[in-house]
Amino acid sequence: MRSTIFIWSRRGNMSTNVILARMGEVTLKGLNRGKFEAQLKNNLKYRLRDFGKLKIYQSQSRIYIEAKEEGNPVFENEKSAEQILHAVTQVFGIVSASLAYKFNCDDIEGVQENALTYVRGFLQLHPEYKTFKVESKRGNKRFPMKSPEICDYVGGYILENVPSLTVNVKEPDFILHVEIRDDNYVYAGKTMGHRGLPVGTSGKGMLLLSGGIDSPVAGYMMASRGMQLDAVYFHSFPYTSDQAKQKVIDLARIVSRFSGKMNLYVVNFTKIQLDMVKNSPEDMITITMRRVMLQIAEQLALKTGCGCLITGESLGQVASQTLEAINITNEVVKLPILRPLIGMDKEATCDLSRKIGAFETSILPYEDCCTVFVAKHPKTHPKHEDIEKAEANLDIAGMVNDGVTQGLEVIEI
Amino acid sequence: MIYFDNSATTKPCEAVADVLSREIRSEDMWANPGSIHKIGVKCDKAYKDALTKTSALLGCKASEIVFTSCGTESTNTALRGYLAANKRAGKTVISTRTEHKATLETLALLESEGYKVVYIDVDRDGKPLLDQLENAVNEDTALLSFTHVNNETGSILPLPEITAIRDRKNPSAKIYLDCVQSLGKLQIDLSKMNVDMAGFSGHKIHSVKGVGVLYVRDGIRFAPLVRGGGQQEGRRSGTLSLLLADAFTAALEEAVSKREDAYKRVSEINSYLREELIKRNAVINSPEDALPFVLNVAFEGFQSETMLHCLEIYDIYVSTVSACSSKSKKVSYVLTEMGVRRELAANSCRLSFSRYNTMEEAKIFIEKLDEIYDLYLVKKR
Repeated sequence: MRSTIFIWSRRGNMSTNVILARMGEVTLKGLNRGKFEAQLKNNLKYRLRDFGKLKIYQSQSRIYIEAKEEGNPVFENEKSAEQILHAVTQVFGIVSASLAYKFNCDDIEGVQENALTYVRGFLQLHPEYKTFKVESKRGNKRFPMKSPEICDYVGGYILENVPSLTVNVKEPDFILHVEIRDDNYVYAGKTMGHRGLPVGTSGKGMLLLSGGIDSPVAGYMMASRGMQLDAVYFHSFPYTSDQAKQKVIDLARIVSRFSGKMNLYVVNFTKIQLDMVKNSPEDMITITMRRVMLQIAEQLALKTGCGCLITGESLGQVASQTLEAINITNEVVKLPILRPLIGMDKEATCDLSRKIGAFETSILPYEDCCTVFVAKHPKTHPKHEDIEKAEANLDIAGMVNDGVTQGLEVIEI
Repeated sequence: MIYFDNSATTKPCEAVADVLSREIRSEDMWANPGSIHKIGVKCDKAYKDALTKTSALLGCKASEIVFTSCGTESTNTALRGYLAANKRAGKTVISTRTEHKATLETLALLESEGYKVVYIDVDRDGKPLLDQLENAVNEDTALLSFTHVNNETGSILPLPEITAIRDRKNPSAKIYLDCVQSLGKLQIDLSKMNVDMAGFSGHKIHSVKGVGVLYVRDGIRFAPLVRGGGQQEGRRSGTLSLLLADAFTAALEEAVSKREDAYKRVSEINSYLREELIKRNAVINSPEDALPFVLNVAFEGFQSETMLHCLEIYDIYVSTVSACSSKSKKVSYVLTEMGVRRELAANSCRLSFSRYNTMEEAKIFIEKLDEIYDLYLVKKR
């Protein structure tokens, strides 16, 4: 049957109507695979909630995203389609994604025409591209041509109609993929995703978020292993300004682009901190403070169904991150403390921070709680007797209880 | 609300609000004063009235003032514009390191263009060392640029001494005076001050942001910074804003008429606060003879930012260093130039007053300060 070219939801010269996303590690899962895939689709749905009504479905190791009905503005121009592509690649579990054009026809003329429209749109985003080649796959064996022939015909047609392009089979600027299946697809270019596992498949963790460079990266890393996040921030107004708090909220938003919905718990830490400085030796303040923070975080974690705490600690980076200090802070909580940056170099952390778009926010120069109260020369190798002495005059249990009850603010991110 | 941050900006006064609301809703007072039709001419006449009034209040001729967008533009135009148009006047500019950034940044640019800038040191009171100035002024001196009242400390420039040195050492050198903080507080009579150029800002005298004035004595040539349609005799192009000119004039009229009363009241507030603050071991950075409208003070045990936030809890507003640059984490360069220790400078806040502040507010301030010391002073063991 020779049908006319069926073009649906094409508006103007728009050449994209579907995003094709590839799954990675998820597809290696055995019996659980279905659960992982369902979670991934849910996460995509949540991440793309501002982009209008979308249909998200899966076939083999791919997920397809397209407009539910005609006229979704996202697919109206190349720029907004690129935004949605960017959002898709930020969802953990996606290895890469491409803007594609899906069409339905069963003759080579239709394929040629649709491929040409796609290429013209694609070149609007990448005007610098001068060479290309065509690769094709034929899943629908009823299609009258074989793959090499399809490549010839489509490539030739594009060469004729786009004078700025030439063919280069060894090192093309882009490869045009033509797939003939039940539906046909053309696409070029591939945006790499953040890989990992879908958030929500590895439980939930409570991230201690400070406003620095490390903690957002730590959150990102755990989320990349499928962990859902809540976060806690210790606010000491007026020693830390509301701008510092806003900065933490902004950082939580940045992390949540990857990790999905989260609650940010803002603990009113002022009184606790003042009591602490008044009643314990200055050189142990940092350690004592961290021990109380961890206990407050653990209480919140237990209340909100988190199975672990997450910190941005890196061995030896500052006084409270020596092995001795880590030992002494670790022992006050029962939940495991995950420290994904423990062996990472600061430069590598900064690179990752830049990659997730947190760096510029992290380095904004507002005071944060760690800087105001700390001693000039904190103890770097604290011993048990030191901490016993330091806490002798403190009502630790009272402080922890105050932290989770007095003036606790919950911000939905 | 207790607003002690009037050197950063001031609340527009009623007179200004009246002028603005009347004019912005008017049938025809929005016309372009440059248009030659009837309504344009009407606006042009009103604009000239504003010029006449403002110049009279400043003690100069209408032909000697130009409306600008702000104090910063006035400073930029005066310094760059004078030197650009008077290449043979000399290659040296004299100033201090405690000027506002508008001056310092312009001077840095001039230095990069080949001018020599000599910075006179200031003493503990923020005043330039006069013997150093005496030695610095010579036949190559084109321009001296000073601030009438320092925005961070209220230090008052010894203007008569400075003009005398200029008159003695090089009478053809010109003086630019930044009067942004002194207008409406000290008496400004340009006919008697013996300066050649001066800059003013509207929003520091209860007008609105977006309008300033530049005074250039008749007979002094300067190159405009903003070029275009040749408005204001080509000295500052850009469509004339009658609205802003009137908003400036209205504020100035009121500031001048209420100046003496305001000075007296604010002096009382200032003395009261000084006395009470010293009792509480705060360190006053402003000199004894500073303009009473500015009181720079260091609170021991409180970083400036922390004190600012503590006061904010009680709806009291002050500033740390100068408000325009409080985002940068450095201590005040004005204070360190005056020889104030870094630690003290890091604890310093600026209280700045207006004619709307009351003694009652000052008393509440002290009361709340005691509460703050009680609640928020970090007492390390």
